[in-house]
Amino acid sequence: MDFSLLLEPAILTEVLVQGLVRGAMYALMASGLSLIFGIMGVKNFSHGELFMLGTYAMFFVTVVLGWPWPLGIAFAALALFVFGMLLERTLIETLRRRAGRDWLLDAFILTIGMLVVMQNLALIIFGTERRGVTSLVDGVLVWGPVIVSYERLMVLAVASGVGLALWAFIRFSSLGKAIRAAAQDPDAAQTLGIDIRLVYTITFGIGAALAGLAGGLLISIYPAHPTVGFQPVIKSIACVILGGLGNVPGAIIAALLLGIIEAYSTFFMSAGWQNVVTAALVVIILIVRPSGLFSSSKVERA
Amino acid sequence: MALEIRDIVAGYTREVPILDGVNLKAEDGRVTVILGPNGAGKSTLLKAIYGYLTPQRGEVLHDGRSIVGLKPNDMLRQGIAYLIQGHSVFPRMTVEENLELGGWIMRGDHQRMHTALDSVYARFPRLKEKRRLLAGILSGGEQRMLEVARLTMTGPRTILLDEPSVGLMPRLVDEVYREIIKLKQERYTILIVDQNVKKSISIADYVYALALGRNRYEGPKEDFEKRLDDIVREWI
Repeated sequence: MDFSLLLEPAILTEVLVQGLVRGAMYALMASGLSLIFGIMGVKNFSHGELFMLGTYAMFFVTVVLGWPWPLGIAFAALALFVFGMLLERTLIETLRRRAGRDWLLDAFILTIGMLVVMQNLALIIFGTERRGVTSLVDGVLVWGPVIVSYERLMVLAVASGVGLALWAFIRFSSLGKAIRAAAQDPDAAQTLGIDIRLVYTITFGIGAALAGLAGGLLISIYPAHPTVGFQPVIKSIACVILGGLGNVPGAIIAALLLGIIEAYSTFFMSAGWQNVVTAALVVIILIVRPSGLFSSSKVERA
Repeated sequence: MALEIRDIVAGYTREVPILDGVNLKAEDGRVTVILGPNGAGKSTLLKAIYGYLTPQRGEVLHDGRSIVGLKPNDMLRQGIAYLIQGHSVFPRMTVEENLELGGWIMRGDHQRMHTALDSVYARFPRLKEKRRLLAGILSGGEQRMLEVARLTMTGPRTILLDEPSVGLMPRLVDEVYREIIKLKQERYTILIVDQNVKKSISIADYVYALALGRNRYEGPKEDFEKRLDDIVREWI
């Protein structure tokens, strides 16, 4: 390890931007996971497969159809929004209606089943070949000794824009308020005329859309592949735990931190160590703060 | 007749009906109280009225229209508000957001929402003072007040109250019953399920007593007060 490299601004920012890009992806994934958990109580283990479908949607639009990348990202998000709502309405909602009190445990197993089915369907339909693009946006920004590719800046811009939009939606729109109300007291929300079923369906749709968007956005780093969702989902679950279960802002901060820490550890040690670092971080933080870094209460916060 | 229940049979499983043929009427602008020992099916009756449970048999009429088969989130649009048991404010939302959610079904109508907020604030000045605070940091009495205020945002005809005073300290209990009397003066139709026999009878017009999921007794408050000791002794 040569820590004198830390004094080089070019290297420092290069690694920082790498970390932020990675963190932005974790943040998109983790905020969806955390939103779904915070509001429905469901731990969606098939979230990585929604990411995977996003990468295929992106590949389809930008490479097969040859359309511009913004359309691809929009399509990936929209397709997954619809698909997520369908999944919720057909599978999760059915389970909630039938299984009664212990349905969350069943839902946990259901989402693992969804993971297996989606992965294998992708394998049958698309095969094992990796399908990606080398870059969505060409060119680099040169600023003194610092060099950042426009692609990375684009990823950061889109991810922050989407994050802000999500925050504003939850905070200010009436549907957003209904979603928060349903998270805090579903019974009371229902007596005020809020359709909990619809809230759950839309919430799952939003979570899926965020995963699809992440998949589309990062296709140049993570080419479409049936198991491409594995790394993102493992890391984003770690972020959800670190940020405090169901705490969306906490998950986003944890995601950015994790991305940066991973980038530096990869740079100074080797790529193989990044999973060790993540796991160690989760263990240490859970020992010191069992309910996560940013939990103000034990309950969810949207 | 605001609310009429005819021969309702309902329960959480088909084999064990908690309500076994209950009949009940809540008259316009009156306070109707349902009493009974634990397990008599009082709260279950409210849940069956409000669509949380689908009755296996029987009829629920509101304003003469059947509301059986409607979902809980349809009921406020039918003019029926429901205060569920225990705390039900949204603790991590502001007082005003709580009230706005009380008007969720009229969210598109800003004029109406505004008028409703104004009239609630005129009635509960303390809520107006604290409208930017999170509901979770209000005192227990203020939270109850917020719950009652939230119930009236859309101007429902009928209000169902499930144990409105349970778990509150005595001073607040009086405050809650004073609020209910005010609602009565405003001509709301009120149906209360209560364990606080003395208090609830004091504000009642008509009383029902349930036991084991059936009608045990009914009558105007005056009759009930005379026989109160006998009836309560039966429960014990």
